[in-house]
Amino acid sequence: MRRSRMLKKESPNVSRHLNENVRTMKEQFSYGLNKDFSMRSLTIAFNQKQGRMFYYSSTVNGEQMNLHIIKPLLENEGKDITDIVSVNNIQALTDFETIKEYINSGKAVLFVDHDSQAYGMDIASFEHRNIFKAENENVIKGPQDAFTESLNANISLIRKQLHQSQLINEGIQVGERSKNEVNILYNKDLVNPDILENVRQRIKDINVDTVRNIELLEQYLEERPYSLIPTILYTEKPDKATSYLEDGFIILLMDTSAAALIVPVNFWCFFHTPEDRYLRFLYGNFSRAIRLLCFFLSSLISAIYVAVSNFHSEMIPPDLLLAITASRERVPFPLIFEVIIMEVAFELIREAGVRIPNPLGPTIGIVGALILGQAAVEANIISPIIVIIAAVSGLSSFALSEININFTIRISRFIFIFAAGFFGMLSLVGAFLLFVMYTASIKSFGVPYFSPMSPHFLSPNDTIFRKVIRREWLRPNYLKPKDLVKKRHR
Amino acid sequence: MKGHVFFIAIAMIMLTGCFDRIELEQQSYVIAVGIDKTEEEGQYNYTYQIANPAVGSAAVQSGPNEPPAEIVTVKGSDILGATNTANSFVSKKITLDHTKIIVISEELARSKDFLGIIQSGSRTPQIRRGVELVVSKESASDFINNNQPIMEQRPHKYYQFMLSRAKQTGIIPNATLHRFFQITEGDADLFLGIYATTMQSDQKDNGEQDQYIAGEIPQRGGSPTQFMGSAVFKEGQMIDTLTGEETRFSHILDKTMDMKDFLATMPDPVKPDFRITYDYSQKQSPQIDFTYHKNKPSTIKVEIPFQIEVIAIPSLVDYSQNRKGRQKLRKAIIQRFEEKTSAFIEQSQTQYRSDPFYWSLYARPHFKNIKAYEKADWHKKIYPNAEVSVTYKMDKLEFGKMINDSKINEVRD
Amino acid sequence: MQNQGFLQTKEIFAIVLMLVAIKAADSTPSLFAQKAQNGFWLIPIVSFVVIFPSFLLMIYLLKRFRDKNLMELIESILGKTIGKLISIIIFLFAFSTLTLDSRNYVEQIKVLYFPESPTIFIFFIFIGVSFFGAKKGIEVIGYTSWIALPIIKISFFTLIWLVLGSMVYERIFPIFGSGLPVILSEGVKKAAIFAELFFLLIAYKAAKEEAMFRKGAVVASIIAFLEIIAFYFIYITVFDYNSVEKIAFPFHDIAQYVQFGQFFTNIETLFMVFWLFAAYLKFIVFLYLIAWMFGTIFHIKNFEPLLLPLAYLVIIAGLLPFNSIYNEFVLRENLLMIMSPFFILLPFMLWFIALWKGELKR
Repeated sequence: MRRSRMLKKESPNVSRHLNENVRTMKEQFSYGLNKDFSMRSLTIAFNQKQGRMFYYSSTVNGEQMNLHIIKPLLENEGKDITDIVSVNNIQALTDFETIKEYINSGKAVLFVDHDSQAYGMDIASFEHRNIFKAENENVIKGPQDAFTESLNANISLIRKQLHQSQLINEGIQVGERSKNEVNILYNKDLVNPDILENVRQRIKDINVDTVRNIELLEQYLEERPYSLIPTILYTEKPDKATSYLEDGFIILLMDTSAAALIVPVNFWCFFHTPEDRYLRFLYGNFSRAIRLLCFFLSSLISAIYVAVSNFHSEMIPPDLLLAITASRERVPFPLIFEVIIMEVAFELIREAGVRIPNPLGPTIGIVGALILGQAAVEANIISPIIVIIAAVSGLSSFALSEININFTIRISRFIFIFAAGFFGMLSLVGAFLLFVMYTASIKSFGVPYFSPMSPHFLSPNDTIFRKVIRREWLRPNYLKPKDLVKKRHR
Repeated sequence: MKGHVFFIAIAMIMLTGCFDRIELEQQSYVIAVGIDKTEEEGQYNYTYQIANPAVGSAAVQSGPNEPPAEIVTVKGSDILGATNTANSFVSKKITLDHTKIIVISEELARSKDFLGIIQSGSRTPQIRRGVELVVSKESASDFINNNQPIMEQRPHKYYQFMLSRAKQTGIIPNATLHRFFQITEGDADLFLGIYATTMQSDQKDNGEQDQYIAGEIPQRGGSPTQFMGSAVFKEGQMIDTLTGEETRFSHILDKTMDMKDFLATMPDPVKPDFRITYDYSQKQSPQIDFTYHKNKPSTIKVEIPFQIEVIAIPSLVDYSQNRKGRQKLRKAIIQRFEEKTSAFIEQSQTQYRSDPFYWSLYARPHFKNIKAYEKADWHKKIYPNAEVSVTYKMDKLEFGKMINDSKINEVRD
Repeated sequence: MQNQGFLQTKEIFAIVLMLVAIKAADSTPSLFAQKAQNGFWLIPIVSFVVIFPSFLLMIYLLKRFRDKNLMELIESILGKTIGKLISIIIFLFAFSTLTLDSRNYVEQIKVLYFPESPTIFIFFIFIGVSFFGAKKGIEVIGYTSWIALPIIKISFFTLIWLVLGSMVYERIFPIFGSGLPVILSEGVKKAAIFAELFFLLIAYKAAKEEAMFRKGAVVASIIAFLEIIAFYFIYITVFDYNSVEKIAFPFHDIAQYVQFGQFFTNIETLFMVFWLFAAYLKFIVFLYLIAWMFGTIFHIKNFEPLLLPLAYLVIIAGLLPFNSIYNEFVLRENLLMIMSPFFILLPFMLWFIALWKGELKR
């Protein structure tokens, strides 16, 4: 805070003398040393005054600059600079602080002799990828496009789906040294003003040098950084973001990330994918049922196996019991150790698989399958049933594709395994209950985590299962939207 | 740093576990327990049949000489104590959770001590109420040792299949520990235990199916073990055996026992030299109408709905299309059942002075409280003096999938 | 107190059901069966008939006095000194119920599933989990109860469904067991099996609106009552009177007896898991209520830090009884007999005094 005030004090206003301004600019941006910082001198045609334009050659669109700024300035007649220049956004600037921000965010600034204001012109064009298919949130049925690292592209992807004047795109500056912009998207007629104000305030309260992208912003925004449970939803799919906008949620975007943040959220948001709604009622709910099963399998199956076989062996049907016992007779480790070995091995493959360079990708499959499967069993390191258990628990974790909840489950799985090894079902049930209670106590921007199931709120009841789409005529009331009832299809 | 130490400590505790934690391979799973008398008073021989996990498992190659089960016998005063003793020469902890049957030698079953022994067993949660009681003609340890099933090598599979199939055909009763305690503690009715043997001493060949008890069935090849008939327990003590057929009648008359269907033969009513084979099935439980009279004998009216499917008519009499023949057959079947049932009931009234059908249930609504009910005394007063009338009601008479038998004479012509 | 008025009828309903209905699955039935033999399933009916009017009257009083919980109501009717005294008595009742019950539950777990572990160890785990759960506050308890409720009930109904085949309805006869007088007197003497309903009134202001609490509590108590009757009926029809007297934990015995087809024969652990969920939740609720009572009596607004010492006290006191049979059949029975007249009469006494003082006329 203090530093920024000092900076402000130093930054003087634009002077009437061009030379003075040019000197200040050169000083501030280390002209000459900073290679892509460019200055262009020109004589403006209509008033025959000297002008100097400053910009980063790497961040502006050169063609646009020539066509819409330089050419008109050199050739056209008119009264005022704003009339002559044909870029879509031109702003008169008076202090150097703002000018700096402008240039840093990729715009060009024009100084004119004997003019106490400068002109900021938006011809910024940061390089970014084109719009590709979503890589991590795959759907079979539904739009395939994904956000890319460009704010304009991202907003255009959203606006394409939502033709509404009530859809507001608000910008807030964040960061002290590098001022980046966070865009808040919401539907003016729906959003709950308290939550919106809360979000705004939290973004404003972020007091750090830079917030480079949305992934970092997520961590600055959340209430409980040490918690196992995510409270902000991260998505790379514009259609998912839009569907939340429609219900009165708030979307955060930044220029530097190919993803959006959705706030506030509850548990179910992490559990859903957009495809649930694109698929027909039964199909979508079937896939949800499978995913629910995966949730339990992934977090609990290893723990249950440990608890049952170490403490409650009477529960296993005799054939299976004898089979497991036979295969375990030559294994040198306690059962819980076996399970942990396999789970760790699986995590290992997974982590390596993410980091491995693409050409080596197939190798990991072969090595992993060999190590984890046959070789380990044949070497009597583990018993074959553990391979099945670890495979099931690992595989089911992929069904929960949301990256945050995915980590939650993978970590909690280990907690449950330890709990199960401690006192069997007694401690496992205790641990699970406490886990559920802890989750229930979490609030995301004031919204209880298990709402609308408990505490109950009017809502489309889109929790574990969803209703037929034509019967979803409410918006989730836990957001306290301004308008609860949707237009109803009868 | 403190956090790390704490975490490691917790992890150590959890990995090493405590008290009740035991690895699967550190346990021996008992499938059958046998109990025998010894010369000493209060001491019994306990035989444990312990499943060998390596046999029949695809994952592990077992040696060719490994038997599917290890059988050990120890002396002890009660089942838990004996289990403890057995651990001195069984390498792993003996677990009774998967016990399927308890075998009792007939000698022990007929002695007064039996109830005490079996009650001490039920105190542990390890022995389930679903465990079946089997009474063996020989000593229980001989029974378990001689029992060498050929196809189902794993003992639990063998018992499971053997008992469930035999129960479906009604030749052995449903004899869970649960039922034993209810009937014995209820102090009315008779409990039927499964009767079995591996000794085939006096084989009878009397032509009539199912009038055997275990050991009497003529058999060649196969496993020597026979499950047939039942052991009758009165007040926790064995008093007699019932043949397979009699056991079936108890099934028919008792609504708490399930029986699917069975095949039986009877003399052909038209040509008595031949026998007819039929399939009896009972879809509904019997209707029992009990009227209590305080000072004179109570009456019990039993009505049994049943269905018959005739399977073979070697005499070639055309019953299926001849109305008169059908009537005759129908009458003969009903008469045969009624006679046999009445005889059996009478036997129970005079000989056992109690019933193996759980009929005391129907007497209970006639009393307001247990004191009055117990005073009325089912065993001594009500049942032995009751007038029982049995009627069979045939719902259906079917003739299988063939409309008529081919005439042998014509074929041979 | 972390209460932002999110609790509604559903959550209150779930909390009450958790607290009361699990009585169907502990060792209370064998306590009854000792005296009434196979008429024991009728005892809760008598008890409920006796104690439910008092409960309704209590709710009526709370409704009239508005914005007061149980202890505050008693104090405002009876005056500071006597009110405090009565409140402390109720607290002691609740505390001893909790202590004896917890010992009972711990014994069930130990005997059936952890025979080789020391009681104190299981006690610490059990109450420890309850403590951490209670620490989350009444709202979270409410949410969790509501979410867990369907799962627990489904598992219980699965058990009923599995055991249906083993039920013999004639076993309820002779209908009055040891005789009608025994059942009636036992029913009145042990009416306090529903005492939890009164302890619960300390949370009267927990819901968003008081009407929600009233509705939830009354409906749930009726459902809990029906559930208890249903389970007792099952116990008697499955076990018959001579056996049920000897069985300490009929719920678990049934769970051990049932099988799911031929292959899954020993499935009691499955039911034990859901039973454990219910048991944990019961003690979480109970512990929280007790801390709340204590806080109200001694005007401690922020009573949640009290949970830890109270939980510790429960363990220490719970370990005192010499053995579980003594705990169940002497201490618990006596406590029920002392509490019954107290809770049957207290609401009427309060009502009369309030009427006499003219406080109900408004």
